[in-house]
Amino acid sequence: MSEPFEPKIVAFVCTYCTYAGADLAGTSRLKYPSNVRIVRLPCTGRISPMFILKALQKGADGVLVSGCHPGDCHFDHGNYHARRRWTVFNSLLQFAGVPEERVRFSWISAAEGRKFAELISEITEDIRRIGPFEQYHALIAETGSPAPL
Amino acid sequence: MSLQEHYRSQARELLAAGAVKMVVGYAEGTTPERRRPVFITEPEECSRLVLDARCRTNLAGYLLREGLLSDGREIAVYLSTEGVRTINILAAESQLSSAQVRILGFEIDRDEVKAMEGKRAADFSEAILAHKERRKKQAPDELAAKLEAMNAAERFTFWQGEFSRCIKCYACRQACPMCWCRRCVVDNNQPQWVNTSSHTLGNLEWNLVRAFHLAGRCVECGNCGRACPVDIPLHLLNRKMTGEVLEAFDHYPGMDEHQEPALASFRKDDPETFIL
Ligand code: SF4
Ligand code: SF4
Repeated sequence: MSEPFEPKIVAFVCTYCTYAGADLAGTSRLKYPSNVRIVRLPCTGRISPMFILKALQKGADGVLVSGCHPGDCHFDHGNYHARRRWTVFNSLLQFAGVPEERVRFSWISAAEGRKFAELISEITEDIRRIGPFEQYHALIAETGSPAPL
Repeated sequence: MSLQEHYRSQARELLAAGAVKMVVGYAEGTTPERRRPVFITEPEECSRLVLDARCRTNLAGYLLREGLLSDGREIAVYLSTEGVRTINILAAESQLSSAQVRILGFEIDRDEVKAMEGKRAADFSEAILAHKERRKKQAPDELAAKLEAMNAAERFTFWQGEFSRCIKCYACRQACPMCWCRRCVVDNNQPQWVNTSSHTLGNLEWNLVRAFHLAGRCVECGNCGRACPVDIPLHLLNRKMTGEVLEAFDHYPGMDEHQEPALASFRKDDPETFIL
């Protein structure tokens, strides 16, 4: 148990902007923590809040949801719909006691490789600081399902 | 003539004239303080209809019984403002046609029932607007204020305690007029989004999903909370969501039958302070 805590972070990203941004970070050889597991989806409009709950259910310590800036959606308005959903779901999660650092939302374009790398570093540091999501992990343990991730 | 008598005779006339095929109202329940829904089709039965301050259930959901409205005929139903808003939402979501709903409107003010004039959902727009204005000014109740003052871990612990008692009976869902999906997402098993065992984890997930799916649609009628056998304060979640959509999108559900659902519409300048 003496190993340093490495947060497990799941990022749900749209393929046209944030995924391309992550790709750019890679091809530009920018360094960012390897704590993030990326799940690529066609559009932020496709990212159901159920995905966030699923990631937490599987033991994630943090979740990032990210897509194209408003006005830049490949499907024109998927991200506007997503934004409303996030507003509501974010407020619900906080009301339920999920700390705000654990579930983040961002806009990262295909040109923002640097923003991607910096945001991942920042989120990873935030979660490293607050530690594993123990309250949630305790609920997972109670179900008798195998240890998180 | 009391409102109860007045609506009884209206119901009788509507049925006798064949203007409606059924009256959905309230009758005496199993104990003196209870009221239960009744579905009346014969004019002679109208004497069973009761209307007093105990008639709290939002009856609008009964209209969605499969096939009930498919013959195009009208049904009369006792509705308060929340109930009328429900009709508007269900019409906006293409679940019914408001032209088939003949309303017997009432409002409960402390221990008194008062008439609300109007026949069709569209006749109640003033009352609904007044409710919206009142809702905007409504202060959070004591428990809600206490919760808001807690830190995240304390709030989590609070809800963990509440949801640990949930038995996943889904009475809250069955009682909600807005929960009309044929197949609820929690009943999906390919993939299984929500843990079905009644451990606290699955209960938490279920309750979050329920609250989220009612965001911008809930009329705060209280059917869910009254149905919950273990008294989970569901109204706190509903109120939080109602407050959020009202504040962020100026959306008050059920204004009229053409209102776009809050989460199926957007404005380009919607607020987004939390997005990085
Ligand atoms: S969630 Fe509860 S309060 Fe809201 S409409 Fe449904 S039953 Fe009524
Ligand atoms: S009615 Fe109460 S106990 Fe039943 S599923 Fe809903 S919250 Fe859980």
